[in-house]
Amino acid sequence: MSPSLPLRAAALVSGLALVLTACGGGTSAGPTTSATSPVPGGELTVAVDSEPVSFDVHVSPQDVTGEILRHVFDSLVSIDAEGRFKPWLATSWEVAPNLKSYTFHLRDNVKFTDGTPFDAAAVKTNFDRIANPATKSQLAASLLGPYAGTEVVDPRTVKVSFTTPFAPFLQGASTPYLGFYSPKTLAENADKLGGGGPVAVGTGPFAFTGYTKGQNLVLTKNPDYNWGPEGAAHTGPAYLDKLTVRFLSEDSVRVGALTSGQVHVARAVAPVDAKALEANKDVTLLKSDVPGGNYNIYLNASKAPFDDPVVRKAVQRGINIDQAVKTVYFGQYKRAWSPLSPSTTGYESKLENSWPYDQAEADKLLDQAGWTTKDADGYRTKNGARLVVKWPVMPPPYLREQRDVLGQAIQADLKKIGVEVVRDQPDIGTYIKQVYGGQTDFTDYSWNRFEPDVLWLFFNSASQPGKGGQNATFTKDDELDKLTETGRTTADPAARATAYGKVQQRAVTDLALVIPVYTPVNSAAVGKSVHGLAYTRDSRLSFYDVWLDKK
Amino acid sequence: MIRTLLRGAANRALAALAVLLGAAGLAFAALHLIPGDPVAIILGPATQASAQVQAAIRADYGLDEPVVLRFLHYLGRLATGDLGRSYQLQRGVDELIGEQLGPTVELALAALVLAVAIAVGSAVATAGRGRIAKAVSGWELLAVSSPPYWVGILLLSVFSFSLGWFPVTGAEDFPALVLPALTLALPVAGVLSQVLREGLEAALAEPFAVTARARGLSRTAVRVRHALRHAAIPLVTLTGWLTGSLLGGAVLVEAVFGRPGIGALTLQAVTNKDMPLVVGLVLLSALVFVVISTLVDLLYLAIDPRLRTR
Repeated sequence: MSPSLPLRAAALVSGLALVLTACGGGTSAGPTTSATSPVPGGELTVAVDSEPVSFDVHVSPQDVTGEILRHVFDSLVSIDAEGRFKPWLATSWEVAPNLKSYTFHLRDNVKFTDGTPFDAAAVKTNFDRIANPATKSQLAASLLGPYAGTEVVDPRTVKVSFTTPFAPFLQGASTPYLGFYSPKTLAENADKLGGGGPVAVGTGPFAFTGYTKGQNLVLTKNPDYNWGPEGAAHTGPAYLDKLTVRFLSEDSVRVGALTSGQVHVARAVAPVDAKALEANKDVTLLKSDVPGGNYNIYLNASKAPFDDPVVRKAVQRGINIDQAVKTVYFGQYKRAWSPLSPSTTGYESKLENSWPYDQAEADKLLDQAGWTTKDADGYRTKNGARLVVKWPVMPPPYLREQRDVLGQAIQADLKKIGVEVVRDQPDIGTYIKQVYGGQTDFTDYSWNRFEPDVLWLFFNSASQPGKGGQNATFTKDDELDKLTETGRTTADPAARATAYGKVQQRAVTDLALVIPVYTPVNSAAVGKSVHGLAYTRDSRLSFYDVWLDKK
Repeated sequence: MIRTLLRGAANRALAALAVLLGAAGLAFAALHLIPGDPVAIILGPATQASAQVQAAIRADYGLDEPVVLRFLHYLGRLATGDLGRSYQLQRGVDELIGEQLGPTVELALAALVLAVAIAVGSAVATAGRGRIAKAVSGWELLAVSSPPYWVGILLLSVFSFSLGWFPVTGAEDFPALVLPALTLALPVAGVLSQVLREGLEAALAEPFAVTARARGLSRTAVRVRHALRHAAIPLVTLTGWLTGSLLGGAVLVEAVFGRPGIGALTLQAVTNKDMPLVVGLVLLSALVFVVISTLVDLLYLAIDPRLRTR
């Protein structure tokens, strides 16, 4: 006997309704039914844009490595929302008046996830490993600066010394790159740490439990965790049971995976997708100005034509940066006025609007510098030589954020004042040889670090490219040397701010060694079921306080 | 008879060895002709590694030795089966390749099966059917000329993001394999189908096909039992050749779908100029080439009895 017709129809309708509610779940069941207090448990998936090359946090310089491994490794100190240093694995610390040593008092009862205790000896073992050239650290060693050694005063007290005064140390100590591996795993697995996985034993709120190259990595909750940084929204273990990080390098695929609910969070949203996501009710778009060095163009002042400061000023004024940044990044990024990003301590706001686009002024300056004649193609000449700027384009995969397109706009602007910009795209080997060998005229890069000491890296004459430095102006200015030294050897925040303010003014206004272009923005798209996710002061996503709606 | 077979096998092995050796030498030479200091390349532009660290890296990889010596050392290690250690990933090349080979083989095989099935189905169904054949052939040309990258995003947008039928996720389960395999299979199916249809149409016009029809065989039986065998020889050659292109296509498909595999590994190795890994991967492709061409030769024998008597 078969069911009567009305019954079958009813079954069909209810089946349809089921399907419909299942589809519409995302929109209707969202914020209204969500609990207001955190719920422990749940598994979160975040899609990131690039896969770390090395997972050894002491070796890798990659942002994505630091952001992911932040959850596995703790630091001595943390940075709160106001940019102040706060206790973490160290409950308190003293800085020697000459800035040559820092004494840390360590928290009790902190354990690595392999059960071994965290103590002064662990700090020494880790810092010594970073400073050892055999470790081949590409970033962490520079955060230790002029490291002299670490002394174990007692199991709970440790003294880190430097050969010269070193003010930026606390900031370095707050980064994941100076995080701590269990000495046991360092002894047993030092050569395997680059590969990630369970050998990467830290004290963090999550343990690194799984890794499939090319696909994903898995972090699981450390149930014993009870030593979160001061200033975190909660104490004790993380809420999430599991954090899966998926590697999806395609911008549109990350966004599609998020909007279709296959991942909870998508890191690195492209400016072109930002507007659509902002209009999407089911998604929150988090944005954070990246601290440290803006995306700047550095002028090679060691050779013609930029050995003439008047020519440098002319190109600085001859580029319509407002227009270019707005067009290429769909109004998502702010144009820059200083080499330092506005979210960095020591940012000099007086520079804002102080050197606006002025084509007439640029033309006048070039006339003044003697580039008065023009050739058949309309470019300026002096003594028969054309005014040419060599500016190679970074090859993929180092080229980010459509900077090649931005470069085309700059090229077009400079053509208007009679300056030819030559842009080749060599391979990375040739690029490094040309640019870091000082053969080019423009060098462009951004530098993410929450510390004004990046200005030392950009402008101090000791920071020579080829010796691991980044001073692409290839110049030595006594005033800039003195001011950047003052910044790293002074503890007084006011004195540091004054020195760094002067550095920015001198580099931009007096000497025109740099053309600040825009402030990079970190952005992440977040599904509505995710709560408590925010960017930290140093612009990293932190999942420690994050919780999910109960399903 | 046995002696001839043995001689043939020995010749084949020698040829294979020569191909592998040539590939290794070429890859080594190519990577050394690239300008730039390998250490600078390893470190990338945004590093603050000291001169001491750079020297340590140089010594560690034997980059301080003269090129000739390095090549000889390299060949020596290859002879003992040691592919060396990746610059960037700090792990054995054999270990890395071994780990990533599975998902790619799975993807390539699935794509190959799909491509052959689609091509045979489409060609047998439409060969000699004027307007339908033309229409289908047009679609196939579109599939051939579309970049796999674009096809992948398109399939994802429709079947994963909008309809939710398949996940974007990597290689855990079968549903996740469907879209990447289809992306990879479509252009290959397009080429195969074009060639096969033409072969079928030619075979159907031959006297033996007419005779078979006269014996009372149905149209489909003639196509499948007689014409297909004739048209299959160029198909086999092409399939062997296209298998190589499947590995190339896998580079992009794996990147789009976030799948692990040799493709993703190759992309990473080449962009990072990870010399030992690149050479290892080149050797692998050479090996795949040798194996496939051998298989293709064997398949000829199976398909065409006339070849067996030679």
